[in-house]
Amino acid sequence: MTESRSQTLAASINSSLAGLMEADDRVVLLGEDIGRLGGVFRVTRGLQATFGPQRVRDTTLAESSIVGQAIGMSLSGLLPICEIQFDGFCFPAANQIITQAARLHGRWGGTDDLHLVVRIPSGGGTRGVEHHSESNESIFAAVPGLRVAYPSTGEDHRAVLDEALATPGPVLLYEPIRLYWKRVPPAPAAVPPRHPMAVRTVRPGTDVTLVTYGAMTLTALAAADEVASEVDVEVLDLRWISPIDHDGVLESVRRTGRLLVVQESCLTHGVGAEVAATVAEHAFTSLKSPVRRMGAPHEPMPPANDEYHHVVQHKDIVQALLEVVS
Amino acid sequence: MTQVTTGLTSAMRRQILEQMLIARAVDEEAILLRKQGLIDLWAPCTGQEALQVAAAYALDGVVIVPSYREVAVALVRGATPEQVVAGWSGRSFCGWQPRPLRMFPFTLVLASQMLPAVGYALGTRIQGRAEPVAVFFGDGASSEGDAAEAFNLAAVEQANVLFLNVNNGWAISKPTSEQMRTSIAARAAGFGIASRQVDGRDPEIVYDAVTAELRLLATEPGPRLIEFSVDRILSHTSSDSQEIYRDEADIAAAVSRDPVAAYRRRLLEDGTVDPDWLAELERRTSDLRADLLKEYAR
Repeated sequence: MTESRSQTLAASINSSLAGLMEADDRVVLLGEDIGRLGGVFRVTRGLQATFGPQRVRDTTLAESSIVGQAIGMSLSGLLPICEIQFDGFCFPAANQIITQAARLHGRWGGTDDLHLVVRIPSGGGTRGVEHHSESNESIFAAVPGLRVAYPSTGEDHRAVLDEALATPGPVLLYEPIRLYWKRVPPAPAAVPPRHPMAVRTVRPGTDVTLVTYGAMTLTALAAADEVASEVDVEVLDLRWISPIDHDGVLESVRRTGRLLVVQESCLTHGVGAEVAATVAEHAFTSLKSPVRRMGAPHEPMPPANDEYHHVVQHKDIVQALLEVVS
Repeated sequence: MTQVTTGLTSAMRRQILEQMLIARAVDEEAILLRKQGLIDLWAPCTGQEALQVAAAYALDGVVIVPSYREVAVALVRGATPEQVVAGWSGRSFCGWQPRPLRMFPFTLVLASQMLPAVGYALGTRIQGRAEPVAVFFGDGASSEGDAAEAFNLAAVEQANVLFLNVNNGWAISKPTSEQMRTSIAARAAGFGIASRQVDGRDPEIVYDAVTAELRLLATEPGPRLIEFSVDRILSHTSSDSQEIYRDEADIAAAVSRDPVAAYRRRLLEDGTVDPDWLAELERRTSDLRADLLKEYAR
């Protein structure tokens, strides 16, 4: 608890990466400007000085090269952790991620498992110019063969890294840019997740289950606290959006009887749709009110001045929570 | 066909011819299996046997990252005909075990194998056990962005990679003249890769070239590239009909340069093999074809 107050998400990720590199020589970092500069967000600051340019590799400005070479490095015995500079720039790497990394296990006849992590800073709220504030996690969450995580705290980020390196299969690890330097990250749950890929109960409650992930966890938690006198909200942070811990969500919804899903990305074809559909399929008789989803409209992320009207805001969640129980 | 002086022993030359004839037999049988609907697709290596067999022998022990047509390479590496056909039959995506054979699976998304190949070489170097890697790709694949990225990455990182370009003059129906303004060797040179063009129809020229480039790869820093010219004798795959877009005379010219027929004739003429040897091999290849039919007729 004290640690989460003293360390920002960025600093926490930096410590995690340093710890992993210290513990295992096979861990290498690859990305644009991550070495000399320490990354455009300074998340990898100081790591090249500590571990050298062979293990903290400033790559050429080519995303397909970053992931493509990391696949080969992984096959040669290393544990590569890549950084894509911004979410909006990951598409040049999509071919390597989808047609190669995600399919390697099957193509190699199940004999080889790829240990590969691709870190992707994501989301709005920092007045990013075009392609610097997007949320495309749902696109990759839909790809079989990939595991996709979107943690909201340094502790969960570390748990994702540990899981990714200890178990087979490539992992896309989304990081909420607007929480990198925020001073008060959400407090870790008193009750630890049931298993490494389970949801985290950020706030226990009895009236409605609010499922969210990434930076929106912080917004949702604040909204839940604001309506606490009227509605007792249980806030679940998914942490992993593929696979989703549906059991954890269903267990909560069967208790509360209500579900609100909140995400920053587009509502259509998204993570929230998957959660809502699964609840409708398996917990329909427990529901006291219709499932409610909140997310961005099916439009590209607008210029920063219009973000407020595009991305779900604190006030919108407050209103929705009051409506869901009314 | 150009005669070259080579260090190849008679036994080695016979072995090369043997593997070329086996690859041709597998190709011919697979085409029939496809016609009977017993497998789903076939990408023939007919016309590339000299290049593939000789390169595979020269690459002894080196990790090979193939494109999708390196049938003869896989056979020389030790994959069985059944394993080589498996990926085209709905049984699996790759019939052989990549690790023991030191040969990656075929990749159908063109050029996507090239960056992982560079990464593999870099990865072994980072771990202090630098290994060379040989990666095959076609003339068509060279238009993909990943090919350019792999050239640049390998060059700037001075990666221990031997790029083996198989230029058969066609990207399905698009001739090389409409795909690029320079040779692939010239393009690679622009990236800072030592490169040359080699006739891929003569296994002895190929063997010497690959052996020489591997030696240079071990002593000189940086990646190297060989652009092999070969003839495309058959259609792109069993689903293609080259007669629609290619001149009859052009196809006939390609057939007349058949590397298997040429090498067979050459070794027969210089006494390296005799009719008895060829007859014995003929018996072996027809047994092999019968086994393949039995396997896939089930």
